[in-house]
Amino acid sequence: MIVKMGIRECALKSNAFRALYTVYTHRDDTARRWKSEGRKVIGELGCDVPDELIMAGGMLPVRVYADPEKPLVETDKYLEYAFDPVVRAQFEKIVDGTYAELFDALAISNSTDVVIRIFLYLREMHRVEPHKAIPPVEFIDWLFTRNRLHQVRNEHTIALFRKAVEGWAGREITDEEIRAAAKVCNDDRQALREMEKLRSGSEVRISGSEALVIIGSAFFMEREEHARLVREVTRDASEWPVLTGPRVFVTGSDQESTELYDLIEQTGAVVVGEDHNWGDRFFDRDFPMEYTPVRGIVDTYMLREFSSKKAFVSQRVEAIGRWVSRTNAEAVVFYTNRYEEAASWDYPKQKESLEGRGIRTACFAKMQYPVSANEGLSEQIAAFTSAVREVS
Amino acid sequence: MAEERKAPATKSGVVKKLQATAAASAYQKQWFAGLLERVKNGEDFGYLNADVPMEILRAMDIPFVVNQWWAAICGAKRMTRKYFGLLRDAGYRDDLCSYCATAFAESLDPDDHNYDEAGKPMGPWGGLPDPTLAITRLTCDCQSKIFELFAMNHGASFYAMENTVPRKVPLNWFEMAPDHWEDLYDKDRLDTAVEELKELIRFLEMKTGKMFDINQLERVMNLINEQESWYKKIRDLIAECHPVPVTVVDTINAVMQAQWQRGTEWAVGHAKGLYEEIKALADKGEAAVPNEKYRLMWIGRGLWHDFAFYQRFEQKYGAVFMWSMYLAMGADAYIRNHVEDDPLRALAARYIGMEDFLHMPPWNNQWFLQQARQNDIDGVVYMIPENCMQAVEGSYFIIKTLEDAGIPVLSFHADPVDPRKWSAETMTGLVEEFIENRVMPVREAKEKEEK
Ligand code: SF4
Repeated sequence: MIVKMGIRECALKSNAFRALYTVYTHRDDTARRWKSEGRKVIGELGCDVPDELIMAGGMLPVRVYADPEKPLVETDKYLEYAFDPVVRAQFEKIVDGTYAELFDALAISNSTDVVIRIFLYLREMHRVEPHKAIPPVEFIDWLFTRNRLHQVRNEHTIALFRKAVEGWAGREITDEEIRAAAKVCNDDRQALREMEKLRSGSEVRISGSEALVIIGSAFFMEREEHARLVREVTRDASEWPVLTGPRVFVTGSDQESTELYDLIEQTGAVVVGEDHNWGDRFFDRDFPMEYTPVRGIVDTYMLREFSSKKAFVSQRVEAIGRWVSRTNAEAVVFYTNRYEEAASWDYPKQKESLEGRGIRTACFAKMQYPVSANEGLSEQIAAFTSAVREVS
Repeated sequence: MAEERKAPATKSGVVKKLQATAAASAYQKQWFAGLLERVKNGEDFGYLNADVPMEILRAMDIPFVVNQWWAAICGAKRMTRKYFGLLRDAGYRDDLCSYCATAFAESLDPDDHNYDEAGKPMGPWGGLPDPTLAITRLTCDCQSKIFELFAMNHGASFYAMENTVPRKVPLNWFEMAPDHWEDLYDKDRLDTAVEELKELIRFLEMKTGKMFDINQLERVMNLINEQESWYKKIRDLIAECHPVPVTVVDTINAVMQAQWQRGTEWAVGHAKGLYEEIKALADKGEAAVPNEKYRLMWIGRGLWHDFAFYQRFEQKYGAVFMWSMYLAMGADAYIRNHVEDDPLRALAARYIGMEDFLHMPPWNNQWFLQQARQNDIDGVVYMIPENCMQAVEGSYFIIKTLEDAGIPVLSFHADPVDPRKWSAETMTGLVEEFIENRVMPVREAKEKEEK
């Protein structure tokens, strides 16, 4: 196995880690196997598609991801420049036939503005260019501001989505099936939380890049198997050498690959946590098993830790404080891609509050995609790590 | 998001004839002075984003200012450069959401309510008084963050209203909106929007101690229907006239200034006066461009920093920009009849659609097509917005819809707010080329066909 990323030898010696790593780097393999077995695969765009419902329908949920190498032939035709670069690259695969082949349908959640627009565009493409190979699309119109009215509305929204999933499954989905799927998801979240202790506890034995692989592989495989492998990795990792560099927390744009973390960790720092959707936020909140299925889903997805997009500045200031405490971070890296700028409005107040607690911060805004397209970034990160190290 | 700015002086003879534009400018100064007085006397004061249903505050007689209108005033007073600097100094980006963030930037200005050595106020119109209420909608990811920051700086209570996405999208929304608005939307979306309004009302009642009276809302809604009906008459009149009596340079400001005052007797009177003025010009056979040959449609926000641009093609080509969304939205998007049945529901049926009519395919592209046909348009100049996710609107589909119908489109990318990114020379060249190579041949072919 040739590994280019910042993954250590000790990790690669673990059979379980290698299995997760294979899934992470060959993201479509499980979906292909499911298709070849005549089973259904549902794509997810936006981080708030409830896996529980799709799994309850006997289908495999798979996260849409970008291919930074793919020329954006179709995207340039349909999307304006103001779409963030990761979503542009994801869109290419949705409309160029790649995902039409792999997905039976695509579920899009109202997780950020740009994804809402993608839904509207795909719906229009279905209307005016029906010949194009685009999977059928369903939208989940979550409301994330926290009050009673929006909770009630979300219950209605999820009931509608349940119907759509039933349509894809070709049968009714029972409450018992949803509970069973929720139990599997909760178990996986619990396994990840156990893993997290070795990543952000007093002794760090799992690096940020390794953690991204362990977490992100969940988006592309059966969840029971994922939980089993995560537990095995966690057992193995308790023997891995301790990492001692400055403890860094990453906030901002989703990191679909380990590229940014590799850069940070090559400078001797260690990424102990993040609030984006390809990391810790994924397993933040359990499905409350005592709730009815629809209410349980609403609770899990509406009330987990705030996302950078759908939250007010004050909420984000409090959230970053909680994350930093949870992970014992000494420094925070703010990293946002060009055109993915909502979090830029949070940054000055977050910085002020963090620095008030003696936490160092570095801001990388308007970044090019992929990470490697940013000249001088590794030097800037190295300088930041040195500065943090000096203080600590 | 609708907005308004003062047009710089133009060479159009017609613009000087429109009393309505001058009347609106004079009125807004007088109105603002009255508002300052009320705030000074301790009344609550609301600061709203343009997509907030202001009708509720109007009905409750709570004085308010609309974010986009105020940003325009700040722009006209040339505060933008200073405000960009204040944002930068406070650690914020100065290249982001500049228009929506103007008032937040102003709230960072220690001199906003001060006077210079000559005794002149340093803030625009003496500066924005401290609002006690800051209300926005979540129609983009940034708006609520900016509004909350603004509220913090002013010590105002911050309130955010949600936004939902339509599942049902009948193509002819502009035909359904006035009388069949109940069928225009998913029922559950309308239900939720009504509940949102009730929550807003309760918030305002608790904050201000004033009671919301449904009869007052009915009155406000009826006044708005009356005002917007005048815009419909104006739009229809202009569409019928060959040549047109006025251009977008004349109509945009006259309509927008009064639009912010909607729901008042003054705004109705102003809209009626505007119609009468334009009708008189039409009756006299007056032409905005006497040699009118080509009728152009402008899609996009107004070019506030270069209004004269619209007139650069009149003499040379007889090409007249005669359509912009500002008047046409008034004509098609606001009217909701049968208010008496349920004024709150009628209001919900207005405010939840406003952004979607403009920015969501297929609603926007179908409307642009219908408007191009009604106005006998020969070519469309389409400024595709950059740097604002809310205004991203399916430009591919807009262009395709119009071109497929045989209407040529010139599209280009620009930030309508930032003059630093605008080259009048390049744009003039592009439009001239467009007129010569696309508009003229299509018009000729059409004329041949008609013969
Ligand atoms: S994204 Fe657009 S609408 Fe939203 S705050 Fe920024 S400029 Fe305003």
